[in-house]
Amino acid sequence: MITTEEIQLAKHCISHATASGATAARVSLNKSVTDACTIMNGELDKVSHSADRSIYIYLFVDGRYGTFSTNRLEEKELEEFISKAVEMVRMLGEDRCRRLPDQDRTEKNASSGRELGLFDDAYYSIEAEERYRNALRLSIYEKIVQNKEFSLISEECEYSCTADDMFLADSNGLECRHSETAFGTFSEMTIKDNEGNKYSGYWWQTSPVANEIDFEECGRKALERAVSQIGPKKRRSGRYRMVVDTTVASRLVTPLLTALNASSIQQKMSFLDNSLGMQVFPEGLTLMDLARTPGKNGSRLFDTEGVATKDTAIIENGVVKQYFVNTYLSEKMGIPPTVEDISRPCIRPYLKEIALQDKEKEVSLEDILKASRNGIFVTGFNGGNCNPVTGDFSFGIEGFAINEGKIGHPVREMLITGNIMELWNHLTAAGSDARASSRWQIPSLAFEEVTFSA
Amino acid sequence: MNTLQYYTDLFKVTRTQLEELTATALAQGGDYCDLYFEHTSFFNLLLKDGVVSSGGFHTDYGVGIRVLKGEKTGYAYSENTEMRDMLSAAKAASAIAAGQASSGRTYKSVKDKVQDLYPMQENWRDKHADAFLPFLKDLEKAIFAKDSRIVKVIIRLSDSVTDVLMYNSLSELTYETRPMGSVTATVVFQQGDKTENKSVSRSFRTGAEMIGPALLDEIAGEAVKGIDERFEAIRPKGGQMNVVMGAGASGILLHEAMGHAFEADFNRKGQSIFSDRLGQQICPKGVDVVDDGTVAYNRGSGNYDDEGVPGEKTYMVKDGVLCSYLHDRISAAWYGVEPTGNGRRENFRYNPIPRMRATYMESGDADPGSIIASVKNGIYVNEFSNGQVKIGEGDFTFFVKSGFLIEKGRLTAPVKDINIIGNGPQALADILAVGNDLRIDNGTWTCGKEQSVPVSCGMPTVLISSLTVGGE
Repeated sequence: MITTEEIQLAKHCISHATASGATAARVSLNKSVTDACTIMNGELDKVSHSADRSIYIYLFVDGRYGTFSTNRLEEKELEEFISKAVEMVRMLGEDRCRRLPDQDRTEKNASSGRELGLFDDAYYSIEAEERYRNALRLSIYEKIVQNKEFSLISEECEYSCTADDMFLADSNGLECRHSETAFGTFSEMTIKDNEGNKYSGYWWQTSPVANEIDFEECGRKALERAVSQIGPKKRRSGRYRMVVDTTVASRLVTPLLTALNASSIQQKMSFLDNSLGMQVFPEGLTLMDLARTPGKNGSRLFDTEGVATKDTAIIENGVVKQYFVNTYLSEKMGIPPTVEDISRPCIRPYLKEIALQDKEKEVSLEDILKASRNGIFVTGFNGGNCNPVTGDFSFGIEGFAINEGKIGHPVREMLITGNIMELWNHLTAAGSDARASSRWQIPSLAFEEVTFSA
Repeated sequence: MNTLQYYTDLFKVTRTQLEELTATALAQGGDYCDLYFEHTSFFNLLLKDGVVSSGGFHTDYGVGIRVLKGEKTGYAYSENTEMRDMLSAAKAASAIAAGQASSGRTYKSVKDKVQDLYPMQENWRDKHADAFLPFLKDLEKAIFAKDSRIVKVIIRLSDSVTDVLMYNSLSELTYETRPMGSVTATVVFQQGDKTENKSVSRSFRTGAEMIGPALLDEIAGEAVKGIDERFEAIRPKGGQMNVVMGAGASGILLHEAMGHAFEADFNRKGQSIFSDRLGQQICPKGVDVVDDGTVAYNRGSGNYDDEGVPGEKTYMVKDGVLCSYLHDRISAAWYGVEPTGNGRRENFRYNPIPRMRATYMESGDADPGSIIASVKNGIYVNEFSNGQVKIGEGDFTFFVKSGFLIEKGRLTAPVKDINIIGNGPQALADILAVGNDLRIDNGTWTCGKEQSVPVSCGMPTVLISSLTVGGE
């Protein structure tokens, strides 16, 4: 991927920036190659090849700061680009809080980029013909038996292979590298019931390892998800227990992570301001950042500043343990720096009704549904938003009724409305069923007293 | 407008080389191929805490090569225009046709149209950062002066200028330069222990002449508009009700409820809820819905789309009847119609697909005040953020930042932060009245179907008899 010459070029950018007047500089060189093959109704529909190479340059000039990027990597052109960039930064306002991270905070053991075992060399041996064969393996078009319940309108599936390589260096001597591969499958089915109503379902998998892909599962799950939606019924507005499937549960975590970011707090755009060290969530909620787990999607040894990540609690037993504070905001707000953002969030299992004495106990979706008894099982969000300042949210949802702990008929055209902090304070369960292939290890979740409109 | 030589010099290609590339791309039996050269320079400034303390510029350059065999697509790109690398990309894209039987599909030339929808008086590329610093500081000052409850103001100014050269196997050669300027102000207010925020943006395909006192006054005024109501706003009782869509940004309804479902790729594949409804009455008579690539200086407009097809005004619905989908070259050939200039892409790394431009409903004849007065109980909505749609099912949503309850024909309590959900065909059939006050919203609308492209939307005041509103 990234060659020795390209690394030298990146380092040259730093030298040229400081020689042009920059007080400090950071450079990120990124390369990415993706090949994808798409099958439509059992036949080849699209092949694509993409190869990207770009350089990002972060300049600190006399207390001023700017960011620049280009994919024109000829040395002379880059030098002119950087010289112009330094001149531009000089025109900006002074902000002395802008600086590189201290050396004692940066990662020292990411020299090869392979330390986390996220790069599978099998990537190099998968040629176009094999990609095509793998994409065809995803297709179940010929195997789908048309029945009385539905007819298939279309099947689209894709197999893709990606290799990413990133080299990060700064004028304080930082040199870090991160390399990873991603092998992905995707399948989407559109079906029609006897009354002409259409339904779609999709499924996907991503893994850094080529042979971890389950080619049989993708189409089958996509079809199951489409068929399961046939015959939706309206449900009355009201307050129900809500179980959120692991495949979409991250939607409810995102507002929390945004609110925990120092940039939101500093700009008074966070409903979690002044919550550090406070018990603002129920005791059952523990949210970890498991950034350094080898071989897992989302793991990384350093953030975008080169600061070393660590496995740590963000929310522990309901107490906020950490904000995400980069070097600039640490200086600006006068608080200790951490990392710029989360790498691999993970929520620990929890069941409100049954105290989990054994911390290693598994909590399945079935356990959660059983404990929730009656309510609505949410399997998809359809639009909506969460106000970053107040936490007030309103989301469209789709899913199924829960009747006596069992999944019942599909529901559609419903909305949930409330405040995200109140919602999390009504958490009754968190499973241990997060998909291994997901970067975000957010399991199925259950909440009580959720307002549904229909 | 720049000359052809400007573009061939910029991309370091000759007509002979363009022909060699298309010949290479079609060598394995493709029906059609096109080359899309693109060079974009981006620039941005950020004012925060009273200081323009960060900014930068960015350069993106490359060529995308697409080969079609019937409706099948081969796509590859190169980030430089060295002939060796472009030939390599052409060969990679050509693979889609290898070993494929004849598709029977013919891709035809389109009629060229000379238009200049966004002439630049002042080229962004000729400006330095210091030219915009006074504007940013003055805008911040003007916003702070409007309301003593303001505690934070963040202002972003960004611009881009994109040079495009397109050539295809039909020997069509087109080229143009596309400017875009955007200003966004985010304002945080505090009143007692309550905090509220508001974001305002303006975006146009125009030159740096847009930065001036008129824009400053418009953004500053809009930034504080309705803030008293925001502090007082309530969550309405949820459920199905009459919804009056205010003129302007309510066009998000059209974008989500029908625009996506009218994009011809979804219909060609049978996936859209409107797949079998061409020629049918889908709205009440008198309703006209347009997707327009020809609105001067509009964010969604294009002299050409990204397949070299001239921008045009396309009626999707005329007098309530679905009369056209939004076509790229693939779907147009499949349906046997002319492409409508909707083949768009995020940049040279992506193949074009049918996308909206400026989507709006034309004015009707109802008085907006009378529309509100006709509603006994319902909701009026006028500020929005995001939306979404499920193409097959037709279920769409959009998020309302602010509005009012309607009680006995009058606007009463302000409401905020609610999601509204409906079903496309049903919502269109449920239109009861269309106002005479069409307004196009010039915010930084960006559509995210597979790729991000700038769009805009508009609407007159419209009454829909029943949508589901999120609430307590």
